[in-house]
Amino acid sequence: MSEEPDPGEEASAPREAGAARTVLLVLGSAGLLTAMAADAVAVFGRHVGFTLPGSIEVFQVAAVVALSVAILLASLNDRHAAVDLMINRASPQLQRSLFLGGRLALALTFALLCAGSIWVSADLWDTGEMTEVLAIPVRPFRLFWILCSGVAAVHFAIQFARAQFVKASRR
Amino acid sequence: MMPEFIGVIAFVVLLLILLGGIPIGAALALVGMVGLAIIISPEAALIKSGVIAFDTVSRYELGVLPLFMLMAQLCFAAGASADFFEMAAKFVGHRRGGLAMASIGGSAGFGAISGSSLATVATVSAVALPEMRRQGYQPGFAAAALAAGGTLGSLTPPSGALIVYGIIAEQSIGKLFGAAVIPVISQAIFYVAVIALLCRWRPELGPVGPRATWAERGRALLRVTDLSLLILFVVGGLILGWFTPTEAASVGCVGALLLLAFRRRFSRAALGRALTETLKTTGMIYTIVIGALLFSTFVGVTGITGDLVGMVRATGASPILAVIVMALILLALGSFLDGLALMLLMTPIFLPVILGLGLSPIWFGIFLVRTMEIGFIHPPLGFNVYVIQAGARDIPLGAIFRGVVPFLLSDFVHLALIIAFPAIVLWLPMIQGH
Amino acid sequence: KPLPPGTIELTYASPYAATHTFSRADITWMKWIEAESHGHIRIKPYWGGVLLSSNENMLEIRHGVADIGMITPMYARSAHLQRIQPSFYSGIRSIPDQVAVYKCLAAAFPAMNAEANGLHLLAIQGGNVPGILTRKRPIRTLADLKGLRLRAQEDTADVLRAFGADPVNMSMAEVYPAMAKGVIDGVVAPADSLKAVHLADVGRYFSTLKVPRGAYPGRAMSQALWERLSPVDRDIFTRGELVWEQAMNSELDAALTAGERYARSEKIEIVPLPAADQARFDALYSANAFRLGRGLKAYGIDGEAIARRAAELIAARKGGGTMTCETGRPS
Ligand code: NA
Ligand code: NA
Repeated sequence: MSEEPDPGEEASAPREAGAARTVLLVLGSAGLLTAMAADAVAVFGRHVGFTLPGSIEVFQVAAVVALSVAILLASLNDRHAAVDLMINRASPQLQRSLFLGGRLALALTFALLCAGSIWVSADLWDTGEMTEVLAIPVRPFRLFWILCSGVAAVHFAIQFARAQFVKASRR
Repeated sequence: MMPEFIGVIAFVVLLLILLGGIPIGAALALVGMVGLAIIISPEAALIKSGVIAFDTVSRYELGVLPLFMLMAQLCFAAGASADFFEMAAKFVGHRRGGLAMASIGGSAGFGAISGSSLATVATVSAVALPEMRRQGYQPGFAAAALAAGGTLGSLTPPSGALIVYGIIAEQSIGKLFGAAVIPVISQAIFYVAVIALLCRWRPELGPVGPRATWAERGRALLRVTDLSLLILFVVGGLILGWFTPTEAASVGCVGALLLLAFRRRFSRAALGRALTETLKTTGMIYTIVIGALLFSTFVGVTGITGDLVGMVRATGASPILAVIVMALILLALGSFLDGLALMLLMTPIFLPVILGLGLSPIWFGIFLVRTMEIGFIHPPLGFNVYVIQAGARDIPLGAIFRGVVPFLLSDFVHLALIIAFPAIVLWLPMIQGH
Repeated sequence: KPLPPGTIELTYASPYAATHTFSRADITWMKWIEAESHGHIRIKPYWGGVLLSSNENMLEIRHGVADIGMITPMYARSAHLQRIQPSFYSGIRSIPDQVAVYKCLAAAFPAMNAEANGLHLLAIQGGNVPGILTRKRPIRTLADLKGLRLRAQEDTADVLRAFGADPVNMSMAEVYPAMAKGVIDGVVAPADSLKAVHLADVGRYFSTLKVPRGAYPGRAMSQALWERLSPVDRDIFTRGELVWEQAMNSELDAALTAGERYARSEKIEIVPLPAADQARFDALYSANAFRLGRGLKAYGIDGEAIARRAAELIAARKGGGTMTCETGRPS
């Protein structure tokens, strides 16, 4: 298994992409640290004698933000693990096709996950879903996950299209 | 077409596209979704994907993974990665093969924090391999010792693999951690013994280094004290029930933040790096988890699982034979599947068989992870070996795999002992329970 | 083995193992359906939560993930009335009474069925009166509830919180691992679950604080599938409802006896509560049920009216009479 290196993404990224990355990192970090704090305070409370009602719910919604960002970041940085033994030994032409196949598979996966999530959210849209104890509305968090998985799908679709284009123009 | 038949075809397709380099998460998810679409309906497959995806990112129990990873990254930022190796090197570096033994100790120590074999092998070898080569160790042997030592990271509590197993097999994670203690210690002893024997037989493998003074040793020991206390607190508190696994991860992160401050390494940049690295790795793993859950839903629908249990029962095979067959399947799959993906894939298939044979699910968790670990180093596709080779391109793969053979042999003996004497695994959790 | 022509095979999904109490009732029902249709309808079961999730099972059935399945509307974050209406059953005495009250309410208040839209209900599920199973500390008085993280349904949560506990709502299927791992300190559950879902393995004390228990829609198929069935087949499923409910009633009865016996053999300490504490609990519980009912106004549901009607039905039954719905049809 390997995590594919990202060829000079920092250097070539335009300024807007850098800003978007910062926003993502801040959101994801905030999610992770909020989840951590919710649990840690609940443990502390239990041992000192107070309860933090709904700490699990805070953890859950914070986790949605952190993990949606995490999956998007892993995608933007090409960190999805693959078995690359065969790829490394294949001919350059085959390597190229396998790379294309990988991009297409990732684009399809995230597109389908995103589509499924949109369908689920649409079905539940009018119900005003919310958590039990703190009545945190679930809808914004569903939308956030849909947004992140959708962007990941678009990212891989663009990579696929670009690689295709390069291939075609070289011919 | 019969669902079972579709299931078999899906397994073959999955293997092929994984070998073709399709990212693991995407391969599992796509095969799962297409399979569900064929057996049930495209609508059901899409809805199920949407439900599983959001369920996974919002599931409380799974939150242990990113938080333990964050803890590891924070310890890493605190400069903790090489400390265990350096401490051990000060104590045994002057012996034959001493640095190799120290790398085993360093891997066990760092493995406790990291929870992952790959992270352990990458981190420890970054420090230990140059040091060993500087002292004239044979490169293939040095790299092999590191690859083997790295596998300790999967089993040393708190172990990510055991947490995931505990969640899907509905077993006490505290007990699983307790059960891992003796196997990990004995495995490390086995490796040290292999190194000692090899170096006695061929002294040129691991030359003697300079002897450290007791003052140096004391300083090195002091440097790992805070880290050791943190690990002891997290694992101990978990086993004693002060907090739940998810909570342990959160508490561990808070502890690691304090450690960072204590070591005067706390800065926005350090925290930012740790968080970024955690997010990226977490994103990779969660994509696999979502894929594996979709794939295992599909496997469940095909009914293959039930057929397998029926087959084992019908042949009247002894439990030991069934377990050996499982070990062989796991070793084969472990050659090219990520440990976590493998666990998510195989637990729902094997666990009913294990329970049907009257074996302990706690024991099975340890057996599963231990077998997975061996898969990290056995040829032709040991991930750990590739990770090391990626950092030291001048060492031929063949040399490392040749060096791995003695460790692999000790692994097989160790695994056989775990199968033959389940008490190695079950004794500690039994005392724990009383 | 290919099916004979004309045979309909429908999938059935349950989160429980084939040996669970509910599953035994499910199997009784399946056999009845197959016999009644002379083999024309076959039910293919998927046990152990393979097909349906614990929270979104209504949505999944609506979209055909399974043809028929066990549903748990009280765990869906989208079903506001269904989450709360089980708390309207204070003072109820038996499982058949729970089911009868539910049916009266459903007949009188359209909101009761609205959250199961797109589904055709196949059975109403009642249950034995729960107590509280705890891991480490027994609950001998209400004061002992303080600081405990307990799995409870929403209708009980507020009352437990009033006594200082920290209630969490999770699917019953997740309770065992959560207890084993110490995610929760205890669970509000009937004695039948001590054996049925092996809760006795992960708890030590069973406090017999009687927590009121209501009925809810427990089995369903999608409306789309229902509409595709022939009138004859639909009639079989309609008559099957009673078969299913009676099977569940007798399985739950047997499970209660078995659970109590198992608890004794596993040395679970049965902890009684003083009558005054029980009365204090009941009063608070009932007041809270009405408060929750009023809170449903936010979703345009007159929950208070439903709670009041339930209380009337139960009071009439307590007086020894037969239960009569507003339609005048005795049930
Ligand atoms: Na570990
Ligand atoms: Na391998």
